[in-house]
Amino acid sequence: VTYLPYALAIVVFTAALFGIAISDNLVHIAVCVSVAQSATYILLLAIGYKDHGTSPVFSDIPSKRTTVDPVVQALTLTDIVVSVAVVALLLAFAVKSYEMTGTLDPAELAELKG
Amino acid sequence: MSLVPLVVAVPFAAGTLIAIVGKWIPPRIADVAGIGAAAASTVLAAILVSRTAHRTLVYWFGGWRPKVGQFPVGISFTVDRFGAGLACFACALVTVALLYSWRYLEEEHGLFEVIALLFCAGMAGFALSGDLFNMFVFFELMGVAAYALTAYQVEEEPALQAAFNFAVSNTIGSFLVLLGLALVYGRTGSLNLAELGQRLGTRHDGLVVVAFTLLVCGFFVKAAIVPFHFWLADAHAAAPAPVCLLFSGVMVELGLYAVARIYWTVFALHGVRPVLLVLGAVTAVGGAYMCVMQRHLKRLLAYGTISEAGCMLIGTGLLSHDGTAGAALTVLAHGLAKGSLFLACGVLLVCLGEVDELELHGRGRELRVLGVTWLLGAIALASPPFAGTFTGHALIEDSGPGWVAPVLAFATIVSTGAILRAGARVFLGLGPRNDPLLSEEPRESPASRENPSVALMTALALALAIGGLVIGALPGFAVAVEDAAHVFVDRHAYLAAVLQHQPVVHEAPSHWVTTTSSVVWAVATLLGSCGWAVFGLYREQLPQPAKVAMAAVARPFRAVHSGHIGDYVTWLVFGVAVVGGVFALTAS
Repeated sequence: VTYLPYALAIVVFTAALFGIAISDNLVHIAVCVSVAQSATYILLLAIGYKDHGTSPVFSDIPSKRTTVDPVVQALTLTDIVVSVAVVALLLAFAVKSYEMTGTLDPAELAELKG
Repeated sequence: MSLVPLVVAVPFAAGTLIAIVGKWIPPRIADVAGIGAAAASTVLAAILVSRTAHRTLVYWFGGWRPKVGQFPVGISFTVDRFGAGLACFACALVTVALLYSWRYLEEEHGLFEVIALLFCAGMAGFALSGDLFNMFVFFELMGVAAYALTAYQVEEEPALQAAFNFAVSNTIGSFLVLLGLALVYGRTGSLNLAELGQRLGTRHDGLVVVAFTLLVCGFFVKAAIVPFHFWLADAHAAAPAPVCLLFSGVMVELGLYAVARIYWTVFALHGVRPVLLVLGAVTAVGGAYMCVMQRHLKRLLAYGTISEAGCMLIGTGLLSHDGTAGAALTVLAHGLAKGSLFLACGVLLVCLGEVDELELHGRGRELRVLGVTWLLGAIALASPPFAGTFTGHALIEDSGPGWVAPVLAFATIVSTGAILRAGARVFLGLGPRNDPLLSEEPRESPASRENPSVALMTALALALAIGGLVIGALPGFAVAVEDAAHVFVDRHAYLAAVLQHQPVVHEAPSHWVTTTSSVVWAVATLLGSCGWAVFGLYREQLPQPAKVAMAAVARPFRAVHSGHIGDYVTWLVFGVAVVGGVFALTAS
């Protein structure tokens, strides 16, 4: 058992959160969200991984062959679809607020407070 | 043909259809179709509520029903009375919101209906789902719809900022959920809640505690529990009034529902109760304190919602069926009453072009019906004896330790006192025109719509306020909710219903009866709220040192709510670390 992918998922996720926390650009934040999502792909795929497993398509391989877990792959695909929707919305908000205010810095935008 | 999936499928299909043909049909037809779909979904969910009186319904998609003892490969909707009731409540509120926006949001191609219906489908699916991954998917679906609804008035800069903060916070929350569910999947190889519960059993090692932490913190972001709550006030301040009704009325509560659901069916860890109770108490008191300092009416109400979410978390965190029933009753009464207040804000915006308490000073005198609505809604929230949130709060107080009652009373007094204060200033013109203690807020530009139907909007607000009062007073209703809560917390019954096809449902062994102490606390809360409102109106007359001290206390709290997404995410990480750290020490 290797713990490398799990460690990698944690590192990527933390780096993305750190990026959002210190960011001064809305587009950069949207990209960081996307990076955080990549960490979830890594974790999911790592959980379903098996040594010497092939892809879980059973039409052309003998059914005794070891395959990786197909469920996590389905989850990852769904996750990617979700990510597309969210990042698209985030970018749309960023573009729209740049059009209106001429800045992408969340600190300058912060009108809502208190 | 089972009715279960239709609750989700109807708004889904209707929303998609309106999105496709919306360009070519007159907007009125899109409106009617949207309202019809939401109403149909409400009726379907109500039928589910009636059918789940004596059994838990399990629907397997595609007919993948496992044989007894077999591994459940399929994906299920597992519907008990709580889930069905919450789905019904969500659909009903969406119907109200669509009716309200009949002319409030004049827009092209029925886009508002489309997003609201997808939101409705997401919430209903979330409440009915019996599968952890599907919960995540519906969580994201309602999230994405909610972000779009927040930024619906896309020409307003605060709306964009709020939607951005909301989207980033909630997406991080959903990643936490996803990480947590990946870990439990890795441990058990299943995603079905019942099978998960069966396989985890009482084997609770570090991995399970970490997974629970991630899941709970993810759902807490949606539930706006301190310190995950920052997005909520921004989103409510910027979103249109009918959207606020949905956010405060049911979306936030769904986060708590999810925490309770995974606790009772999957984890049932020991030692998590103190953490949940402390978080609930901090949220209740902190939200109430922030509520007092607002002059933007929707933001004020939003902090009230955070406070009430804290009260509900106390109920949920008691981890007893009475506490859970109390939380559920509070959800219903609060959803209706708070919803009516948000709808009233929408009317103010249309009639007077303003939702700022100080700017509106005395200008609401002509809107008498609206003033009465505001009063009724605020009183329903103030836990008045035998009505409104009373039964819910009383159940929580009576089943909790001694400190719960004063905390709930304090939080309720402070937040509803602020709501009453705002109402007195706007509708009666009481108090000074200026109060430097209240936060400055950006103005919300008035909805420039053609002849909105103010009468219909006011009537809906009034109806919700009366509903909020009455739902706490219905004889027998509390008993039914208690029975439902008893089933909800019964892990064996849930597992048996899904895995053994044994739909056994039994009634609670004993029912709560009104106690003297709960009535005393209720009277104190109601009077305290009125007193606090008067204090809020006339605190200008306090001596100078007292005012300086109050401003000094308020400053750090205000500074924390910076409107900066980086700060919000930092708080979120801090919250996860604290909750996880304490769970690591106490949970087993």
